[in-house]
Amino acid sequence: MKKGDTYKHQFKVTAEVYKGFINVFGDKNPMHTDEGFAKEKGFPSIVMHGNILNGFISYFIGECLPQKNVMIYSQSIDFKKPVFLNEELVLHAEIEDIFESVKSAEIKFYFENSANVKVAKGKVLIGTNL
Amino acid sequence: MNSNEILSECNKIFIDQLDNDAIVLKRETTANDVEEWDSLTHIQLVVAVEKQFKVRFTTAEIQGFKNVGEMCDTIEKKLSSK
Repeated sequence: MKKGDTYKHQFKVTAEVYKGFINVFGDKNPMHTDEGFAKEKGFPSIVMHGNILNGFISYFIGECLPQKNVMIYSQSIDFKKPVFLNEELVLHAEIEDIFESVKSAEIKFYFENSANVKVAKGKVLIGTNL
Repeated sequence: MNSNEILSECNKIFIDQLDNDAIVLKRETTANDVEEWDSLTHIQLVVAVEKQFKVRFTTAEIQGFKNVGEMCDTIEKKLSSK
């Protein structure tokens, strides 16, 4: 991996992902589970948990990078727009910086929906064999 | 920026990264003197220091530092040679 390398990966917030997240973590806030509540708050339907995207990042780092010897040291994310059930997202990631002294790389990323709107962005610091 | 000023900047970085307002770095400070400074936070500290001062260490430099003071001296040298 080197500075400037870019990656793309497609994700879909399927019912399985959504239900799995609720089953595992138990967040049944009405914004995520009650259609009427979400509409009352101005959304067209229930809003997906933002941290589902953090799960996608975990998958990307662990499974999609060219090497498996990786560990996430820190991760930050800003949620920009709501994500809805069955929405397809494209993750765009770029190696922003390399820290050879501690074998680490900083990756900046954003998720884009099918309307090419950024729904979230963030950074991950990983340890890896550079 | 001299070594003392660099030490002061490093102190701020350590306080922020390690979430400990009580940290007072001295030149002779080592990881053994700071409870939160472990192998994981070490990496985050080095990355934060490199980013703050816009310098890059080598693995050999990192492994060779006997204390915070030696790290500050190396930063000073790198900054002065820019």
